[in-house]
Amino acid sequence: MNRFRIRIFLIAAVVTGFSLILLTSCNKNSQEGLIIITQVSGKLQNINYVNGNSCRYIPQSRISAFDPADPERSFKVLTTAFYSARSPEVSCDGKHLLFAGQLKANDPWQIWEMDLGSLKTKRITSTQNNCTDPAYLPLGEVVYSENLPNDSLKSGHSLYTGNLDGSDMKRITFNPHAYFASTVLMDGRILSVSRKVYPKNGKSLLMAMRPDGTKCELFYRGPDGRAITSRAWETSGNNILFIESDENNPENDKIISVNYNNPFASRKDLTTGTEGAFHSLFPENSGKLLVTYRKSADEKYALYEYDPEAMKLGKLLLNNTDFDILEAVEVNVHHRPRKMPSEVHMDIKTGLIVCQDANLLDPALASRKQRLPETAQIEIIGVDSAMGDFSPEPDGSFYLRIKADKPFRIRSIDSKGNVIQSCDWLWLRPNERRGCVGCHENPELAPENRIPMAVKKSPIGIPIHVSKIKEIMIDTE
Amino acid sequence: MSRLSRLLLYTGIVVVLGLLVYFPGRKAARAHVNYITATTDHPLLCTSCHLYTQKTGFISKMVNADYLSPFNLAVSDDGKRLYVVAQEANALLIVDAESQKVLKRINVEKKPHSVILSHDGKRAYVSNQWADDVSVIDLESQKVVDSLLTGNGPAGLALSESGQYLYVVNTYTSNVSVIDLNTGKEIKRLTAGDDPTGIKLSPDGKELFVTSRRANIVPYGDPVVTELTIINDSTRRVVEYKDMVSAYMMENVAFTPTGDLGLVTLIRPKNLIPAIQVEQGWMMTHGFGVIDRKNNNKVVQLLTDEPNSYYSDPFGIAVTPDGKKAFISNSGADRISVIDIDSVRALIARATPEMLKSYPDNMGLSSHFVIKRIPTGANPKGLTISPDGKKLYVAETLEDKIAVINTETLEKVADIDLGGPKRITVARQGRRLFNNAGHTFQNQYCCYTCHPDMHEDGLVYNMSGKDMGRNVTNTESLRDIGGTAPYKWTGTNQSVYKQDGMRFSTFLTRTEAFSYDDLDALVAYIITGIDYPPNLLYNPNGELTAAQLRGKEIFERTVDNFGKEIPPIDRCITCHPPPYYTNRKLEYVQTLSKTDDSILFDTPHLNNIYASAPYLHDGRAATLEEIWTVYGKGDKHGYVNDMTKNNLNDLVEYLKALRSPEYDNQKVKIHQASVKPN
Repeated sequence: MNRFRIRIFLIAAVVTGFSLILLTSCNKNSQEGLIIITQVSGKLQNINYVNGNSCRYIPQSRISAFDPADPERSFKVLTTAFYSARSPEVSCDGKHLLFAGQLKANDPWQIWEMDLGSLKTKRITSTQNNCTDPAYLPLGEVVYSENLPNDSLKSGHSLYTGNLDGSDMKRITFNPHAYFASTVLMDGRILSVSRKVYPKNGKSLLMAMRPDGTKCELFYRGPDGRAITSRAWETSGNNILFIESDENNPENDKIISVNYNNPFASRKDLTTGTEGAFHSLFPENSGKLLVTYRKSADEKYALYEYDPEAMKLGKLLLNNTDFDILEAVEVNVHHRPRKMPSEVHMDIKTGLIVCQDANLLDPALASRKQRLPETAQIEIIGVDSAMGDFSPEPDGSFYLRIKADKPFRIRSIDSKGNVIQSCDWLWLRPNERRGCVGCHENPELAPENRIPMAVKKSPIGIPIHVSKIKEIMIDTE
Repeated sequence: MSRLSRLLLYTGIVVVLGLLVYFPGRKAARAHVNYITATTDHPLLCTSCHLYTQKTGFISKMVNADYLSPFNLAVSDDGKRLYVVAQEANALLIVDAESQKVLKRINVEKKPHSVILSHDGKRAYVSNQWADDVSVIDLESQKVVDSLLTGNGPAGLALSESGQYLYVVNTYTSNVSVIDLNTGKEIKRLTAGDDPTGIKLSPDGKELFVTSRRANIVPYGDPVVTELTIINDSTRRVVEYKDMVSAYMMENVAFTPTGDLGLVTLIRPKNLIPAIQVEQGWMMTHGFGVIDRKNNNKVVQLLTDEPNSYYSDPFGIAVTPDGKKAFISNSGADRISVIDIDSVRALIARATPEMLKSYPDNMGLSSHFVIKRIPTGANPKGLTISPDGKKLYVAETLEDKIAVINTETLEKVADIDLGGPKRITVARQGRRLFNNAGHTFQNQYCCYTCHPDMHEDGLVYNMSGKDMGRNVTNTESLRDIGGTAPYKWTGTNQSVYKQDGMRFSTFLTRTEAFSYDDLDALVAYIITGIDYPPNLLYNPNGELTAAQLRGKEIFERTVDNFGKEIPPIDRCITCHPPPYYTNRKLEYVQTLSKTDDSILFDTPHLNNIYASAPYLHDGRAATLEEIWTVYGKGDKHGYVNDMTKNNLNDLVEYLKALRSPEYDNQKVKIHQASVKPN
């Protein structure tokens, strides 16, 4: 071979090499379009959504993937190294997968991340407690539920956040509620299914909070007799979709849609006319839904496409007589939620809360011309002890400095000692500043523009017996 | 030494010298950028501050562009022509509504605000807010044929039922000029609410409603009350000042065709509540007021917001000829909210008095009457409906377009391109960000909401710096603040960059911080794009009156009335030197209140100070006089206690005359007597 040919050969090789680099680097994510599912063999246990144990930690569950264009040939189990795995969530770039899994039968369930290209996994959490329901937070963080069986706050599963490298894991919910099935809204907040577990079990609700655990507030409460049983998903059309079960009819689980802008007045049943039970859903980019569904209790849950506009079950995508398909997600590239700033300052041991008017009448009550007695006393109650009581200001306002990360409830009491209203468990994060409109509060009500008389004084320290807390204040603005 | 060796040697020297400069230079640049931005990871882009923030000169011309910024508009009776006020181009554009082409550009005076057509459709009147006049345009010849003198800051326009009188709302002097069109002369001036803009004659031709934007100045803690002025058209007298409680920024007004209801846009601010969260409408809510004219002008306020989504800065309002729908432009949300008027009537009719009390703060009610949110281009402002009621025209101010919306399908059917520059400059992008609530949690408010006209809203807010109820602060103007650092009353922000950076997002917008590109744009706009209006009221041409000259002497004096030397620190001129009348330092002026933390205050700039009431860091002084008569007894805020009342009057007159130095080099139009129209 002469020198000229060698040169040509070398140049061609270099050009080919660079072209390959360019082509491969510009190639789309090869996993895009795959559907990832959770499968469970055998008979499903009775589901207990209150403690979550039977629906969150299903032995020998597995995560698999397939291409809907060719399900049979493309089908692949992704978690072969795991004894059990479930709760898949795909990252915004479509390249990684979060899931909960246990390597061996007696291992605690932990949170893992898988590279969807290489299928390599890395463990994110390292705790002796069971962890489940992970979701991606923006810019390299994760939120998940951790079971705290001996928690002094009497919570069930609490929410934790941390970095994807496993560092800086921190608890963000501090009340006797169980928090499951978190999703991260596009506004950057975490939306969780929450249920009171102490002193008695409550109704399942959707609660929204900032990723630092501040400003936790009610997002949606379903009608009586209905319970939220799946993770909620936000669609590109600004709707939040989830499964609601009928507490009296377990085979009548429905897909419910509420609008993000006004979840209290936009509830729609998207499955009217479809008999059977829906177990989970996932909104595809196309606007259709992936749903796991069975017509009767005799069948296994199978994976279907569902048209929420036409409210019709579509194509059967996958079924297997040996396995229930309980969850499904599509691998796609999607917008990342907003990264919210945090006001939490761990050097501060308290948070502040102002209530504008303990006597505020909920418009719903006003419409029924209902009258409530005047609030004479406010009582703050902890998990196992009273934390203090005091009279509200003449305008009904009160202003408290409360020990951070401790649950409390506020009760309004009339002059005869009767309880007028008791709100659900609250907590404040360190340095959190929070306001509520009133005790009979309607989440649709904005505050009246007036200075609460209480903020003209120093806040009342709670618990009252340790109210002389001296600490630095952080200038926030 | 060979040529090659010399080349290598010189190259080596250059490289070594370059490296010697590069490393310490880069370190210094990093330190400089870190200081200005108050971050450590801003990319070292010199252009951010040194290119896009140029206000004048060749570079400024290169990086900026001359936009049109359509603001308000009118449509001819036959529906064939649109008359569009191009605010930044100082022009009226005549647009063919069918071909959607601009037919003619007619130059008017500075900062045109509104346009109205004469009853016979032969003339257009354009208010020029920065020229204190109204341009009269003959629509046949398409020429300005007259100029009518008005009060200060003319904005909204209305014709009397007879067509003989033109009502001109003077925003800056808070009154309404009544101009007799037969003579072209102003015959009377009616006092209106504070900072009025919108005006409309009722369909029965009896009354004019005038909206105002600023609330009455009251001590902090008293309710926010803004006045709707009602004028009798036949007597041309004010018949009522209607209090709109807990509302402000009433930009515009419309009536139902039967005239039974008046509808005004409004914002319900939460300035008296500690600014501790955005959730649940804790900072701002937006909506409209319904004035029941058959029921003693009883007012019910309703919100167009939803519990998790806000529609900020309502501006224009228009009602269809059948009275079924009202359209409100939410200029901070790039949406038109469509209101079903029958649903509004039904909602009010079935409400108990207890329910009516909660209506103004109930964000859930909008689901009963808002039937659609129509997306628009950037910053929708003025609205007008075609005479047949089939089309809604929307001035998309920061898009340089007019949106055409089908009022039946409620879909945008066209965008009329007015021919502005196609490229979006950095400063223009900054202006869009400034006017858009997308950078606040749930779109609750934008920069413009508290800084209308890029100025300030006249309210005092409880920013709850360290504790709720403490450290209330008067909103500061953003006009021409580039040279007045540091910022905030505490002076803790050394640059606009820091002011609008991470801490801004943590405690004010409470959502993801601006990206660096967006922050660059916002800073470029704030520093270069916000000018002072000319001070036509107190100092139109730089020639001070006798009283102002005496006041200037007092301002600059070094000895008191008894010949005793005033210590330099107690002289006005020491802390307030020109051109911005600030020494840009923190000072003690004995105005600390019990609810303030012990701090020094940033010395504020004083140009156009007459337009920035209330005064002092917490807005406690309702007038300039009160700064000294009520709050200056210790002589720490300037040495004043030797002064006579006349001295103080002169000083105040001089202070009111302060204006941007930019106007010193500009020719000011001298008003000529009006020409009687044909």
